[in-house]
Amino acid sequence: MADLQDDLHAADEVTELDGLMSGEAVAVLGADAYTLVSDPDSEPLERAHAILAAHPVADGYTGLPWVLRHLPWYDLELGESSVDTDLPRLRDGHVGALLWSLHLPEGLTGDRAVGATLEQLDLVKSVARAYPEGLRLAGTAGQVADARNHGRIAVLLGPATAAALGDSLGILRSLHALGLRALTLSGASWASGAGLTRFGEEVVREMNRLGVVADVSGASEDTVRRVFAVSKAPVLCTRSAARALRPHPANLPDELLAELGAAKGLCMVPMTAEQTGPTVRDVADHLDHVRAVAGPGSVGLSGTYDAGTAHPRELRDPSGYPHLVAELLRRGWPESDIALLTWGNVQRVLRGADFTARAAQLRREPSTARISDLDG
Amino acid sequence: MTELDEARALLAEFPVVDGHNDLPWALREQVRYDLGARDISVSQSAHLHTDIPRLRAGGVGAQYWSVYVRSDLPGAVTATLEQIDCVRQLIERHPADLRAALTAADLEAARAEGRIASLMGAEGGHSIDNSLATLRGLYELGVRYLTLTHNDNVDWADSATDAPRVGGLSAFGREVVGEMNRLGMLVDLSHVAATTMRDALDASVAPVIFSHSSARAVCDHPRNIPDDVLARLSANGGVAMVTFVPKFVLQAAVDWTVAADENMRAHGFHHLDTTADAMKVHEAFQESHPRPVATAATVADHLDHMREVAGVDHLGIGGDYDGTAFTPDGLDDVSGYPNLLAELLRRGWSRSDLAKLTWQNSVRVLGAAEDVARDLRATRAPSNATIESLDG
Repeated sequence: MADLQDDLHAADEVTELDGLMSGEAVAVLGADAYTLVSDPDSEPLERAHAILAAHPVADGYTGLPWVLRHLPWYDLELGESSVDTDLPRLRDGHVGALLWSLHLPEGLTGDRAVGATLEQLDLVKSVARAYPEGLRLAGTAGQVADARNHGRIAVLLGPATAAALGDSLGILRSLHALGLRALTLSGASWASGAGLTRFGEEVVREMNRLGVVADVSGASEDTVRRVFAVSKAPVLCTRSAARALRPHPANLPDELLAELGAAKGLCMVPMTAEQTGPTVRDVADHLDHVRAVAGPGSVGLSGTYDAGTAHPRELRDPSGYPHLVAELLRRGWPESDIALLTWGNVQRVLRGADFTARAAQLRREPSTARISDLDG
Repeated sequence: MTELDEARALLAEFPVVDGHNDLPWALREQVRYDLGARDISVSQSAHLHTDIPRLRAGGVGAQYWSVYVRSDLPGAVTATLEQIDCVRQLIERHPADLRAALTAADLEAARAEGRIASLMGAEGGHSIDNSLATLRGLYELGVRYLTLTHNDNVDWADSATDAPRVGGLSAFGREVVGEMNRLGMLVDLSHVAATTMRDALDASVAPVIFSHSSARAVCDHPRNIPDDVLARLSANGGVAMVTFVPKFVLQAAVDWTVAADENMRAHGFHHLDTTADAMKVHEAFQESHPRPVATAATVADHLDHMREVAGVDHLGIGGDYDGTAFTPDGLDDVSGYPNLLAELLRRGWSRSDLAKLTWQNSVRVLGAAEDVARDLRATRAPSNATIESLDG
């Protein structure tokens, strides 16, 4: 059964049929109903494997699509040494869901950016379809849970770059129809260092209506605050750690972390030397900090593999997650918080996006606003 | 029973599959996609050739909505996605009348429900910007044909209305056709040069279509289909969907149009511009130069000829409504199809011939493309060939 994850999971998680339940309700139920899955007396690493088997990692970012675009040949099924991410290592690390970044190199704008994003979407889908026993495309929280219950790693499309919209809400809707589920709100005239313009706010509202999650990693503080205020659905930071511990521009200051927690957003801490530090303990420090400031419901994991950055030694590739979880157990994290960190929080955010979209579609027509009308 | 009554009765059973309608472009140009400002559930005859009441009156059962964008402007992919979004919104807004259709089975289901099957066709290879991945993206969004060119050449195919460059299809052009076959997207040969038509017929293993073209032997215009190409349709299995555009189907109108286009350019407009200002210039020219008028009989002349050369199993209809400034008398808008059928009945076309023309042939072709795709997908991976690698 090399094609399946090591353990088969009982289908206890709510899947696509629970459409009427809000994200929060699920999170609350999850916390109340939490049952231990590891033996508290066993070794931390052994416990980590047991916990991850039940609550796999929903990883917030991989740069794999852009890397694969430039590889003439690869085999993710048997193992691919030219990248950090392949199926054996994803399985060893208990990764159950992964956001596939559609980010583009800087400088691509307009039609070039839209076209390149279409190509990246096509590439990720082709890869997912080429490894049907390892990967499965998923667009909603229910489909992510279904993928996991089938022993597949859920492939989520996004985040894409803001430039991918070509400044058009029609394109946002078309990209959503093609499966896009997250968009990073930086690097466009309507989401820049100066904050979110009126058109930018309309983009966020349309994203809410569609169920595209806003990613504010790398966005300016003004933008982040405005998105918190405008968005009816929880917001993601797909690659942000704590600035109090490490001064990186994409890391969040404590104030914003607290606001993120209050807004029920999710800060996904990257496994990169430059943002979190060179050791697994550094990453754990950030997780401790974000959990303390934003709350256990607002912290997640972001491998950020194959994105051109250096990684802590024990976390060179996705197979290292059990080491990280073992470190957190040694620091006294309760199992229920680890379950939220690895899996529960991401599912809550996805479910929140679905729920918001369903509610918004009853009230709002597709927006025909144009950037020239709103931003002049 | 008059011929017109008989035509209506026939259309009730075998409605029209129309190959080309430019309503999305008209909505983009007129109201910037503010669909509330052109509510097609009520008459829009002051602004458009197309609305739901007239589609119903015309006996339309399936429509390929064109997601055309201009080929002389940058940003074709971007604009195409907006056009697709427009069609998806139209379908969403009118669920009782329109039904999204992706397959031949969807067409039959829509007919059974009494809804108008809504398909999409992209008009011009510029919409994929030399990218097979983008082609696949359009397919996933519901586009079921790609016209290989519009009025200008693309890098890999010659247009009928541009100077010959690659002499038909380039190697990458053949790869595009192959990928369309693999996907189940119909290869549309309207607008392309005769050399491209022949190359595409050689390259395609699925039936092709002409979404809106008539017969060159009847009216010598490059947008029409030469007889040698029409004759190949029976072996290929495809359909030529006759178009009504007067400037393609009536020789006197061809000549008049040359003069009118020159007048438009002299006033600083694109010759296909249908905005209010441009239409005023058009109308002024028309006052001083009476416009030759085509009729349903003009179109029937083309169909008679196409039937002789291609065969009755290879005919269809592609009105090009809202994509042309002028229409024939009696075929003024999408409510006019019964007049064409009445004319054909008078000429002795049988009911079964007309059923093929309106519905059966076009449904068959889409189904055949699906069958080919099913076979090809089992053996062939998506192509990531680039134009640089194939055309050098």
